[in-house]
Order: sequence, then C-alpha cells, then structure tokens
Amino acid sequence: MARSEKRSLGASLALHAGLGGAALIAVFPVLWVFLTSLKPAGRETSSAFFDHPSFAAYGELLSKTKFLTWFGNTVLIAGFTTVLGVFLAATTGYAVSRFRFPGMRPLMWTLLVTQMFPVAILIVPIYQLLGKFHLLNQPLGLILTYMTISVPFCAWTMKGYFDTISSEIDEAGRIDGLNPFGTFWRLILPLARPGLAVTAFYSFITAWGEVAYASQFMTGLDKMTLAGGLQTFVNQYTQNWSMMSTASVLIAIPAAVVFVLVQRHLVAGQTAGSIK
Amino acid sequence: MAVDTTTSQPTATAAGGDTPARGPRRTAGTPGRLRLALGKHWYAWTLVAPVVIVIAVLVGYPLVQGLYLSTTDANDKNSEKQIGDFLHIPASYKNVGLSNYTDILFGAHTNFWARLGWTVTWTVSCVAVSFVIGLTLAIMLNRKVRGRSVYRTLLILPWAVPAFVSTFSWRFIMNNDRGFLNHALQALGLPTFDWLNDPTMAQISVVMVNVWLAFPFVMVAVLGGLQSIPGELYEAAEMDGANAWQQFWNITLPALRPISSTVILLSTIWTFNMFPVIFLLTNGGPGDETQLLVTAAYQKAFTGLRQFGESSAWGVLILLILVVFAVVYRRSLRKQGEVW
Amino acid sequence: MRRGIAASALVAALAVSMAACGSSGSTSNNGAPAAGASVDPAKVSGTVTWWDTSDAKAEAPTYQKVIADFQAKYPNVKVNYVNVPFDGAQNKIKNAFSTGTDAPDVIRSEVAWTPELASLHYLAPLDGTLALDKADDFLPNPVAATKYEGKTYAVPQVTDTMALFYNKKMFADAGIAKAPATIDELKADAAQIKAKTGKTGMYLRGDDAYWTLSFLYGEGGDLVDAGSKTVTVDNPAGVKAFKTMKDLVDSGAAKTSVTDGWANMMSSFQSGDTAMMINGPWALATVNKGGDAFADKANLGIAVVPAGSGGQGAPQGGHSYAVYAGSKNVPASELFVQYMASAEVQATLTKELGVLPTRKSVYAQPDVASIDSVKFFKDAVDKAHQRPWIPEGGTLFAPLVTEYTAMLSGKETPEQAAKNTGDAYRKNLGWK
Repeated sequence: MARSEKRSLGASLALHAGLGGAALIAVFPVLWVFLTSLKPAGRETSSAFFDHPSFAAYGELLSKTKFLTWFGNTVLIAGFTTVLGVFLAATTGYAVSRFRFPGMRPLMWTLLVTQMFPVAILIVPIYQLLGKFHLLNQPLGLILTYMTISVPFCAWTMKGYFDTISSEIDEAGRIDGLNPFGTFWRLILPLARPGLAVTAFYSFITAWGEVAYASQFMTGLDKMTLAGGLQTFVNQYTQNWSMMSTASVLIAIPAAVVFVLVQRHLVAGQTAGSIK
Repeated sequence: MAVDTTTSQPTATAAGGDTPARGPRRTAGTPGRLRLALGKHWYAWTLVAPVVIVIAVLVGYPLVQGLYLSTTDANDKNSEKQIGDFLHIPASYKNVGLSNYTDILFGAHTNFWARLGWTVTWTVSCVAVSFVIGLTLAIMLNRKVRGRSVYRTLLILPWAVPAFVSTFSWRFIMNNDRGFLNHALQALGLPTFDWLNDPTMAQISVVMVNVWLAFPFVMVAVLGGLQSIPGELYEAAEMDGANAWQQFWNITLPALRPISSTVILLSTIWTFNMFPVIFLLTNGGPGDETQLLVTAAYQKAFTGLRQFGESSAWGVLILLILVVFAVVYRRSLRKQGEVW
Repeated sequence: MRRGIAASALVAALAVSMAACGSSGSTSNNGAPAAGASVDPAKVSGTVTWWDTSDAKAEAPTYQKVIADFQAKYPNVKVNYVNVPFDGAQNKIKNAFSTGTDAPDVIRSEVAWTPELASLHYLAPLDGTLALDKADDFLPNPVAATKYEGKTYAVPQVTDTMALFYNKKMFADAGIAKAPATIDELKADAAQIKAKTGKTGMYLRGDDAYWTLSFLYGEGGDLVDAGSKTVTVDNPAGVKAFKTMKDLVDSGAAKTSVTDGWANMMSSFQSGDTAMMINGPWALATVNKGGDAFADKANLGIAVVPAGSGGQGAPQGGHSYAVYAGSKNVPASELFVQYMASAEVQATLTKELGVLPTRKSVYAQPDVASIDSVKFFKDAVDKAHQRPWIPEGGTLFAPLVTEYTAMLSGKETPEQAAKNTGDAYRKNLGWK
C-alpha cells in the first residue's frame, strides 16, 4: 500500500506534473481519433482540433455499413474467447501451481514457445486445419484460434496467482471431502477473482482487436468481426479515413468500458502474477 | 505432446498434494509405471488436457509442419491442391535440405542480418524505454496523491484501446505536412521533424509509438509488485536511518525482481514479433529501415506467389532466436537464485 | 509498349483459334452439360457465389441491384453475393481455391491476379463458353490481361488507367494555358506556379509503387520483359525514370511523402496546396470533397500523363470476372459472368459508379460517353500501357516500393534503387 509520507509542495507539484503529463500523452492519441472522426471526409488529416465538426460520419457508418452486425459478431467471439480462455487458463494454471506432474515443465515451456512463432506465418496452416474441421467462417474457428494466443499468457498469470493462495485452503477442502475439482471450483476460484479479471481483460482485448486471423478466416460482410470489417474501408488505391476513424472510436468504446470494469482488479491481479 | 510419461518420474505426493512443483526430476522410467502415473496424476492431466489439445492441434501441428516445410521448396505452385470435389493436385515440392536457411543467412543480397540488427535494436530500445517509463510511473502512482485512480485509469488507456486504432491515430498525429505534432512544435517555435519519412526519424517514431502501447503493461505489473511489498520493511529501514534513495535501491528494486524478470521476458518476445505496429505505421519503410524480421519475412514470402518453404524457414529462425534468448535469460536468472 | 500490344493481339488470335476447336476444360470434371452455344440459358440452374472486391459501401449496393435484375431474368439461378475487402483478398481467394472449402464460384479478379491464379490451375478456361459473349466487342487492352498461355481465363469487367489531374484555376493564376504534355513542361509549369502563387506544382504519391509506372513507361522502360524473360527495371530507361522522379522532388517541382501517400496527396490537391497529381478514375468520386479547390467541379482538368523521353504511358489496371475451376455450378457461373459483362450491365455500372467499361459498344452509347470519367479517361484508356501479365506479376511491387521509398527518403541514389529492384526481381523470378 501507498505509504503515508510528508512531501514538500515542490515535490507534490512535480509528482502531479509528471503524472498529468504522462496521462495527457496516454490519452491524446485516443482523443485524436475521436476528433478525426468528427472531421468531414477529405479533411481527416487536418491538424486543427475541430474542422467542420459533425457526427455525420457516425450516422453514415451505422446506416450504410454492416457495423452493427460486425459488432454483434465480435461481442459473441470476444465473449466466448474470454469465458472459455479464462476457464481453461485457470484450470491449467491451477494444475501447474498445485500438482507436480510429469509433463508440467514441458507444458510451461510450450506455452512460452507458442508466443514466439510469428503469427503471420501460421495463418496458412491454421487455415487449412480449420478447413478440414469445417470451422472456416464459423465463430468457433476464430474462438479456438484466439485461445491459442490468449491462453498461454493467461495460464502463466493464473499460475502465479494461485501460487499466492495458501495451500492450506486446498488442505481444508480435502478434509471436507471435496475432490480436487471441487476444491478448485468452490474454494480456490472465488479467491482468485482479481487474477481472473486480469486474464479476462487480456483475452477480451486480444479477441476484440485482432485483424490478421479474422480477415482471412471470415468471409462476407455478415460474418466479419469489427477489425475485419474495418478493412472494407481500405480499397485498392484509396482509403476511407473518415469511416475508419469513426469505426475506430466505436470499437474502442466497449474495450474501454470492459477495461474500466476490471481495472480495479488489474493491479491486484498483477501483484499475484508477479510472484513466481 | 507435453505430457511425457516415460521419461519423467513422478515425485509429487498424492494428487491434490500441495507441494509447489519446482525443478526438474528426470530419471529413466519404466512402462509399468504408466498405470501408476495415470492413477496419481489424472487430476492434473485432466485439468491441463483441454489446453494441451487445443495448443497441440492449432499451434503444435502447424509448427511441426512449418519445420518440415522449411526444408522444402514449397510454394503456391507446387503445394497440394483440392480444386472443387474432384480435381486433386498432389504436392510436388521437393526436399532442399537446409538451402532455405543458407539462402536467408548467407545468400547474395540477403537482408537477414540488417533486419536482425534493427530488430534487436528495436526490441532492446522498446523494452528498455517502456520498462523505465512504466517503472517510474508505477512508483509515482504508488505515492499517496490526489486523483490517483483517475491518473491510473488514464495511464492504462493505451492498453485498453485496440492497437490498430491507436496506430492509425499516431499516423495522423505524425503526418509530416498536416500532423498535429509538427503543427504544435511549430506553434511553440520548435523545430519540426519529418517523423515517418526520414529513415532515422522513422525508426525513432516507431519505437515511440510502441513504447506508448507497451508501458501500461509494465506499469500495471510493477504497481502490483510495489503494493505487495510489506510497509514494515520501509518502516524498519527508516528507523535505521536509510534515506529515500537507499530504501529504493535496497528494498524496492530487489522486491521487484521477480515481476521484472517475467515482464521483461514477455515484453521481449512480444516486441520482437510486433507485426501490427510496423505494418500499419510505416509498412517497413522508408526503404526497409523499419522492417522487422517478422514483417520482412511476410513481405518477402507472402506477397504475390507465396513461398511457404522460405517463410517457414524465417519463422523457425525467429523462433530459434527467441528460444535461445529465453534459455540464456533463464540461466542468468537461475544463477541469481530465481526460478520460473 | 507497341510490342506489348502486338504480342497481346497475337495471343488473342491464338485464343480465338483454340476456341474454334471447341475446347472447354471447365465442365469436364463435374458431369455438367457441355458448355457453349448449345446450352439454353433459360434452362441453366444452380447457385453462384460471387466474391466481389469492390468498395463495400460505395459500390456494392449497385452490384447487388444488378444481381437482382439478373435473378429476375434467370429465376433458376440463385446468386450469393459476398463482398470481400480488396486488402488481403488475393491470399484469401488462394486459400479458398486450394482447399476447395467454402470457395466462391466466381471472383472479381484484379488484372494481375488472373495470370497468377490461372497458372495455379484455379481458373476455368472460358473460351467458347457462355461466359465469353460477343468477345470481339471488348477493347483489346483489357482482353490481353485475361489470357494465360493462349487461353482465356477471365472476362473483362472494368478497366482503368492513370492521368494527370490539374487545378485549372491555379494554372490560370500562374498564367499557364494548358496541361503539361511532357515532364520537362511539367517542371517548367511547376516553377512558374511556385513563382506566381508560392504553391508547389505537383504531389507525387511516394508510398505506392503503382505511381512509379507512368514514369517508367514514359522513358520507354518497363519492370520486366516477359517475352525474353529479362529484368528491365534497371536498364538505362529504368534508371532514367528513377532519376526523373527523384529530380521532381529535389527540384521542388513536386512534394511527396512515403507514408499516408493517398491521404496526403488528396488533401493537398483538394485544398489547392498543389496544382497537379497523377491519379486514376477512382479519385473522381472524392476529389471534390474535403478541400474547397474543386467545389466547382469544372475547375478539375484531366489530361494524359506527361511524356518522358520515350513517350506517354500510364499503367493499365482493372478487374475481370473469373470462374473457379472447382465450381459445382459452372454453367450457372458462366451465365452469370455473361450477364455481368454484358453491354447493358456495363452501361448501368458506368452511369451509377463512373467505372470505365470494357466494351466498345458501351463507349459508343451517347449517355455513357457524356459521363465525366468516360469523357476524361477514354483517351487514356486507349493508350494505357500493358503490364507484364505473368503469374509472378504480384511479386513485382513489394521490392519496387521498398526501393522507391528508400530513394525518395534520400537513403539510396536513383541508380542504387533501380539496381536493387532489378536484383530482387532476378532473385525472385530467376530471370536474366
């Protein structure tokens, strides 16, 4: 916890100046996309804060494109990726944290190595695999693919979190006659809520903003996710920056909302993740 | 794939045992132990099975296939094709040994080493700068300061907004003619820069944007670490007359070591393969000044007729570099008494 | 350029003679009735999935309207319209075609994709089928891009090329009477504009290799010579073209940037900061938006691209309809292509979208000839320079854009940039 301390006025000012300056830089590009979305087509690169501002582009985006369909698809895909990904990461993290079993260390290494192979080069083989399982153009195909990105990180984080939960609780569960699954589900998981929040946030953001897989595996305006749909504004020689920035704002808002919901837990969750 | 029952001897207590697993225990096992192991470890194996299956199928299989393809001349022309239901064209690529690798590493006009140099420079600068900034902000946020939660929320924002959205925004802000950044610098009477068009500036610019994207992760992680340091430690240190700097050096930094090692490891892996930032901000330009290994591989092998063999070789090389890094990094940590 | 057209005419003649033999490989593997004139269009049935790469917001509604007309005319054929973003579409098409799962029956194939996809055996030959109707009505240039090894693998949909866009008022203010016909005139005009108005003469798009082609063709150069399998981008004409572009920027005649080229070029031209740009018919829809310079559309002048020492030449682009060789509905697909490429549909598309038709008879219609894009671009289309229609065409632009941006940003000299591009081509193609 923050320590109580006495600071000089100068030190306080410096602290506020530092944090305020950093916060401004953190927020500015996000604000700038919003300001850009208010500018009329053709003036997107204007350096003025306001240049003929209007919400016309929002009306156009919502009425003339399939934005709402894409939005629904993405909510579905990101939602399932998050729920499934967090659950699997939690079971894996728990197993690795509590049990010493053959294959544990290779598993941890494998999870790390999956982060190392460049996604760009995996697209074609994964495409062929999904084709064989008839999962192309299906939300499930994308959900499974996104889990390969999010679960390794989440499992590592959850392992770190479970390590901080005293094993006496497991012991107590066993004495009460719970099997390990029961102990995990009824006793440990509720205690791990902050860790779950972090992994949920990470899984959600991963699925929400992913472009490369989404645009190759999903076909047709009705099946696209938001990030894939954004590509319809890039044509052979032209780019529709007005639509792109408007869509970007609407894509960023739900991500920010999820983030505000879980951010109280973020710090606490990461604390645990730190202790290996 | 990861579960190997014949080479590892189980040493844990019964399933549900609470000894945290640490360190390898590898001795030769006998097949007769399989049943025993199954009885002991079925809980754990069941818990990890879904992840193992998904990862093995969706990453493991393509990875093994990639290893194989990297020794062939596979491309769009000679790969297997199933055209409609009836026309099947079998694969006709052939084994070329390690020539994809030797071409990439030592061929005439290879840009591997130049790109590796830049990728390392990029990774080190991005990780170092975002770590220092994240650490500094975390320490500032850990003070009692009015509006702390507001600052914290705003500072995590770059992480919460999808990367492609903020990268577009930075492209506008850094636009040479009309970007806000040059406009503001000019208004303040400062020199302007050709942010994305000048070869050296473009390198600095992409690092800046990536630092902006990456520092919240470090900040959040370090903040968590800071908050787990017991306050009594500082109280004791104060009683011993330690000044703020000594407290930071002797208490704070050592306490942050475990979290830092994980953060640095993950940041390094992610930054090394950071495709979207480069692809969307400069597309590797001007020339190939900002081209990372991963974007260079994509551009070489995936535009026009695709070279699956060559691109797999690039992928394997990238993987090897990172595995070597992870092993060396882990060794150096273990020497200092930390294990993960 | 001349040689290219002569070669393509030869190819076209070959294709006609082959078609006369009645060869049609497209229907041999699915038991469908033999395609050709003997098929009664009214009896054709099936479902056609069409992957269209046009602008989902601006163009797709018109295509969907045309498809509705088609279905009214042929109620037995169901068309499944799928819009696929152009960006990434080529890899997506290849992925779908190579596995046969969820693959489309008909695609909108960019001119450079057709030979590549045909060489990979993905496309059904269309000579002598329903798809190729009134073949001699098509303009020879777009037809050349549908051939591969003597067979026709696509039917031209739209064509395009590039031209010089200029701001008439800025020209008048600087006392210039007409658009520059040569690059030397362009430089002189730019200097005069700078002197009289203080503005820059031209915006050179610096982030897209396609914009280099008119300079290359203008010097009589080309990326490669497909006939003799020779890399020509770094021959003296090629080097001269690189020097010309660099000189335009260095001399102050043109501004450029190697990122966000499209947005920078358009806004600079639209707001009257620069007086000229090289662009294609796709820019007409938005050129009067954004800035104030073209609030009165009459202020926009369009002329053929300025000539280098080897004459005028702008690259030929466009799209065609192609049929998947693995399609289960070949006759229906061919019927659909026939309808979509018909004079009637082309006239509708031109009137609604301003795209340039590929049939001579459409240009002859008075209400088409009066449309802006047709008026401005008809001449340019006839003079458009053929690109090398080879399977490897798609691999040519990546090295070029790398060297182009390296040169513009001052990292490489024009000579080095040309040579490095040539070296990359020789490595990729295995040519001389």
